[in-house]
Amino acid sequence: MRIVHYLNQFFAGVGGEEAAGVPPAVREGAVGPGRALTALLGDGHEIVATVFCGDDYAASDPSATEELLMLVRESSPDLLVAGPAFTSGRYGLACARLAAASVRAGIPAVVAMHPENPGLDEAERAPVIESGRIGREMRPSLERLARAIATLAGGDELGEQDGRIGRAPRRNRLAERTAAERSVELLLARIDGDRERTEVPLPSFGSVTPSAPLEDPARARIALLTEGALVPMGNPDRLESARATRWLRYQLAGLDRLEQGAFQSVHGGFSTVAANADPHRLLPLDVALDLEREGRIGTLHHEYLTTAGNGTQVATARRFGVEWAAELRQAGVQAAILTAT
Amino acid sequence: MSAVKARDVERRSGTSLRLLAHDVAGVAVGEETRYVGDLLTVGRREAMECFTHHALAGVRVSCCSPGESTRIIKVLDTVEPRCKGGEGQRSGADGALQRSAGGVFPGLLGPAQLGGRGETHVLRGAAVLSAGFLPRAQEAVLQMSGAGAELSPLSATHNVVVEFEPAPEAPWDAVAAALRLGVLRLAARLAHAARSAIPDSIDELEPLPARSAGLPRVVAVTNIQTQGAFKDVLVYGRSMAGSLPTWIDPCELADGAVVSAQYGHPALKNPTFVHQNNPVVAALRASAEVELAGVVLCPEPVTEHEKRLVSEHAARLCAAVGADGAIVTKEGGGNADADVALKLDALEDLGISAVGLFAEMAGRDGTGPGLVVAPASANALISTGNYDELVRLDGTDRALGGERLGILDAAATDELELPVAVIYGSLNPLGWGCVTCAGGS
Repeated sequence: MRIVHYLNQFFAGVGGEEAAGVPPAVREGAVGPGRALTALLGDGHEIVATVFCGDDYAASDPSATEELLMLVRESSPDLLVAGPAFTSGRYGLACARLAAASVRAGIPAVVAMHPENPGLDEAERAPVIESGRIGREMRPSLERLARAIATLAGGDELGEQDGRIGRAPRRNRLAERTAAERSVELLLARIDGDRERTEVPLPSFGSVTPSAPLEDPARARIALLTEGALVPMGNPDRLESARATRWLRYQLAGLDRLEQGAFQSVHGGFSTVAANADPHRLLPLDVALDLEREGRIGTLHHEYLTTAGNGTQVATARRFGVEWAAELRQAGVQAAILTAT
Repeated sequence: MSAVKARDVERRSGTSLRLLAHDVAGVAVGEETRYVGDLLTVGRREAMECFTHHALAGVRVSCCSPGESTRIIKVLDTVEPRCKGGEGQRSGADGALQRSAGGVFPGLLGPAQLGGRGETHVLRGAAVLSAGFLPRAQEAVLQMSGAGAELSPLSATHNVVVEFEPAPEAPWDAVAAALRLGVLRLAARLAHAARSAIPDSIDELEPLPARSAGLPRVVAVTNIQTQGAFKDVLVYGRSMAGSLPTWIDPCELADGAVVSAQYGHPALKNPTFVHQNNPVVAALRASAEVELAGVVLCPEPVTEHEKRLVSEHAARLCAAVGADGAIVTKEGGGNADADVALKLDALEDLGISAVGLFAEMAGRDGTGPGLVVAPASANALISTGNYDELVRLDGTDRALGGERLGILDAAATDELELPVAVIYGSLNPLGWGCVTCAGGS
């Protein structure tokens, strides 16, 4: 098979975080982990090109996936292989999005990442093979990926036995009895000692380790973020009031304050009366500008990011988080204040 | 008879309720309110009178039945027509409304007296709905026929629909209160028309048993939303916000002790109709294998420490009535998951087996994690469906409740594709419906 391999800037050998903003590019043949993968794949398979991109660029630039897909197509591959991305969020998102777009465009794809990678939920129909947590587990991760590629080359679908991860879709259907009736039956089973039976598999959300405090706020660039759905009056970009699928960015540069009537909250989950009367209750631009004038923070970032955190599904919220982090890093922001409602 | 026995008899006889059900097979608007055969006629003028209030400029009353090519949009609440029967009722010319309503919806139509005793007439198969714009109300859609109708239990009832025009300058909370009272009055008046009819069926709600022969005792733990104006639920006419949980007799629910003033979350709200017919209570009553030990009503506070306090307190109440098991339900979206999850854990910590009902929020493609907050140790969960999944609704000949659907900027009669979250009552958290979700790992 002709294979195109996708890597981030780090595994492509371009650089670390300082190079996270490099745009999509391509190299002939295998690079970095691609060389080890080639050896594992043996004869009959060739990595004809390696496409790579900086993590921040890939996760935050809306056109990144399209640009990467164009580079992939140039080599007319039989298969796109992305990763292993381990638990790296931006890298995982990029791998999953590119693989999903590739499958949509008719080019088969396979991704490798750890089950806790937020990219897992973005892979759509592209199969995802489990990798280790960190780069030190590269070898066993590549071995599993190579076996999966061989299975695909043999014309077979990948399943759990191949290390395939990701949730199969859950679909609504009508049960024969009401949820209340089923709940009584389930309770009786539980009282009788069945401690496993359930209709809803429990999710695992993992945990987030907070960053260390800023060493010197007076030299930091600080951003203001909100999930309170604060948007310019009239909601020109039509942010959803519930079940948001998007986030937006708006200018703060040149504003001394957020005037009543110039901004509004379109959040569907709380009474927006107080927030609309004084938008600073959602986005504390007034206090932040005071702190900037007093020299207690370095610079206030010139844009704010906003979405509606109301009935948002966890996978979407996690994607927003990764995208916001990438966007803010690109902009040189060291810390952010995220107001929640 | 010993003093103890006498008290026991008094306690038992005090909490039984006889539901006299009158089947409704058709409904129409006419000159006079009547219930003849199994047909209900809504007297136009009498219906209007129920909404005489300075906050309302006017109302329009119309009817729709299952199978009609009708869609109701912006549905706010639904009430089952009920009124009290038996001795002590007054009606007729002197009939002040609250007297003829005779004790249903206590605290709203009459004094907040303990309900759930004596006889109650029910128009089974009929419902009174309010529909229209209120602030903070999320648009709910109810389809009476075709694709999508099977998702809501209320597409199977004969519906009396009340649309309204607020009075100029009237504050919205006054509009909502006037509308709510009007709907309750109308529901009581309609049921009143059946008071002299022979019931089609009689349901004796027996007093709750004291601990008896070894059947597991089960409590229905019913969380209700308490998030301020337009997202509140009334118990005996008052908000439960800030309260601790309380134990009530299921017969009180049947007489309208709990009334919805909550207009958010179309698929995930508990209309007044559902509190009157609490599905978990009904399923527990219908089971020969459990002993119903009452209902624990709980507010859904907005802060985590209050959620914890309410949850632990609810678990103690269940323990105090000797519960072996509990079924926990919620109202609302994401943060209400925490109210269920914390209660399941608190109950299991006290050795009480617990089952929770959740709607899932698993994304349009059904691959996201379904719960926003999952229990730590309890894991027996019932799914009422994934609210993100898209459904297609057939276009209809007629729409009630408004001309346009704001969320899609579409005409109210258009063919629509929207998340099941918008279908009124479809994923009812009290377990009313049959939608569930399956598949996945």
